[in-house]
Amino acid sequence: MKILLRKVLIADNTSSFNGLQKDIFLVNGTIASIEDSLSTEADIIIEENGMVVSPGWIDPFAQLSDPGFEYRETIASGAAAAAAGGYTQVFAVPNTSPMVQSKTQVEYILSASRHLPTTVLPLGAVTKNIEGKDLAEMYDMHNSGAIAFSDGLQPVQTSGLLLKALQYVKAFDGVVIQLPIDKSIGTHGLINEGIVSTRLGLPGIPSIAEEIIIKRDIDLLRYTESKLHITGVSTAKGIELIQKAKQEGLQISSSVTPYHLYFCDENIQQYDTNLKVPTPLRTKEDRQALQNAVLNGVVDCIASHHIPHDIDSKICEFEYAKPGMLGLQTAFAVVHHVLPQLSPAQIAQLFSVSTRNIFNLPYTIKEGAAAELTLFNLQKETTLNKQNNKSKSVNSPFFNISLKGAVRGIFSKGQLTLNEWNGN
Amino acid sequence: MKLSTKNLLGIKDLTPEDIQLILSTASQFKDVLQRPVKKVPSLRDVTIVNLFYENSTRTRISFELAEKRLSADTVNFTVSGSSAAKGETLLDTVNNILSMKVDMVVMRHSASGAPHFLAKHIPAAIVNAGDGINEHPTQALLDAFSMTEKFGSLKGLKVAIIGDIMHSRVALSNIYLLTKMGADITVAGPPTLIPKYIAEALNVKVEYNVKKALQWCDVANVLRIQLERQNQPLFSSLREYNQAYGISRQLLESLGKDIVIMHPGPINRGVELDSDVADGPFSIILNQVENGVAVRMAVLYLLANREN
Repeated sequence: MKILLRKVLIADNTSSFNGLQKDIFLVNGTIASIEDSLSTEADIIIEENGMVVSPGWIDPFAQLSDPGFEYRETIASGAAAAAAGGYTQVFAVPNTSPMVQSKTQVEYILSASRHLPTTVLPLGAVTKNIEGKDLAEMYDMHNSGAIAFSDGLQPVQTSGLLLKALQYVKAFDGVVIQLPIDKSIGTHGLINEGIVSTRLGLPGIPSIAEEIIIKRDIDLLRYTESKLHITGVSTAKGIELIQKAKQEGLQISSSVTPYHLYFCDENIQQYDTNLKVPTPLRTKEDRQALQNAVLNGVVDCIASHHIPHDIDSKICEFEYAKPGMLGLQTAFAVVHHVLPQLSPAQIAQLFSVSTRNIFNLPYTIKEGAAAELTLFNLQKETTLNKQNNKSKSVNSPFFNISLKGAVRGIFSKGQLTLNEWNGN
Repeated sequence: MKLSTKNLLGIKDLTPEDIQLILSTASQFKDVLQRPVKKVPSLRDVTIVNLFYENSTRTRISFELAEKRLSADTVNFTVSGSSAAKGETLLDTVNNILSMKVDMVVMRHSASGAPHFLAKHIPAAIVNAGDGINEHPTQALLDAFSMTEKFGSLKGLKVAIIGDIMHSRVALSNIYLLTKMGADITVAGPPTLIPKYIAEALNVKVEYNVKKALQWCDVANVLRIQLERQNQPLFSSLREYNQAYGISRQLLESLGKDIVIMHPGPINRGVELDSDVADGPFSIILNQVENGVAVRMAVLYLLANREN
């Protein structure tokens, strides 16, 4: 199969072609040549004004719910949503049933996505049964293909245990991923504690529940000299702490979700259960700080925090609704919509290059490399609707909302997967 | 005149005119309740379901009496002994009831926002009889009615709301109502029971010393300690609470002025209020209960969209 990508802008600051408009010729899944202008024959020619090509995007934190909750999402449906969202690789959190805590589950997830355009890489549990008591078999899971380690939506609470986990993964240069929330503060909270929660009569989760655990995790990181990734940062203070730790030279990285950049707690006036999310939507000021941190590079990458839920888990009282929203398919458009000033190279950085650096999945667009690419266009638009939604669930506040920017397709494992769903 | 809203989900959504309309209509119904025949035929073609997902004595009886005195047909639902106990969802329960041709829903629920959720999904008029720690609008209306009876007007009235502010829907509804009607509010109680952002969110003063709050106010609305809604220890013991924040006869007499004591019930006697205060001359607690029926009649009557 020969494919010609004509006049595409290359966004990859690890590549000598970064920022250049080129023709890229793909032959049997390999980048055969990159030239100013190619006039070879090809089976498929793709040419579109404003088309950008980036190293394949990677999402570091998504829940695919398989095994155990296949009525919400399967590896196949989650990977299809990821492909439509421009991702060639997705990290799946271990909060499944059974949980991903041994070689067997790691191998199941890897094999389930082996032939799909988007590869699903399992995050192994840090602790057995995600109970936060004893270490899971991380070394064995690493050897079987677990990409990193996290207790996912139930972050490790005990300091002593996280210390040991951070030390333990050093043997194989592993990374621990933590959602920043101290569950002993605002234990029964539902949204950010502040003016909005007070006015709505909803129990709050104070910002300090995040700040205190980021502080602690940084202290443990300093002591262990290990690698830590904090995902779903929601507070201005949290960002500030991470920035300082970076300046200090610690091996810390962070990601934010598209929805924390788009929404703030003021959007919850009508008890919209789709806006109930694991690290809560914070204030307008926090949102501004997160946006700034994305623009100035303090935040390394974007994490979709794609969490599918069946309809009955969301059409109910706010208190009983399960937290989380879909994210894979709209992640890029939401980020570009909120921050249109991000350059194509910055987008590639946030969605691919940084994530690849942090988790040791290097890739550069160059001749001779296997093609793993994402095609996107800043001038097109994305509207998620019932017809084009690839997830098995529908818990997204972005349905029927027109967002700027569109993913046009991905190329991976020798296959081109184009998006028809954008409509234009 | 009509209300600006189809449902009574909270005081937050009402205009001062709505509140005034409800209070003046309640006044007319209070006159009705003094007559030998305490009943009017206004809602005889209306069927109302009382959905109580949480325990209640006063509010449920008060609503039921209000409905009966308006000649409405009523159906009662409590969670124990119903299909909700078998795991039926709120929406399913309500839709099943509505398919039996019910016009209005009076609901109490332990989750904040439950009536708002219902309002998005069903056509019947909804009256919130208390949702979680959010609002209890008819309680605030009957409190306002009782204060107006006593003081003539709410404007400039100094109201102290004392006790467990954090877990109290009565506090939030009272604050919304009194603020809209021009009263001054101080909330007082232990710091662990006062929401951190309440002063800026709701424009009230915060006081941790109950005596100071009592010295300042014209009327003290004393709240029940919501032990059932506290998920973690927020004070050390009921004994210590009573000593530090409870209201005794001795404390009231030391103020050197007369204030009015209110309480939404049920009272924890010897905790937030001593018995000789609850039953004493300063208390208008039983007036509140009496006024509750008239206020709820007014709310149901106006929401049934009858011209006044």
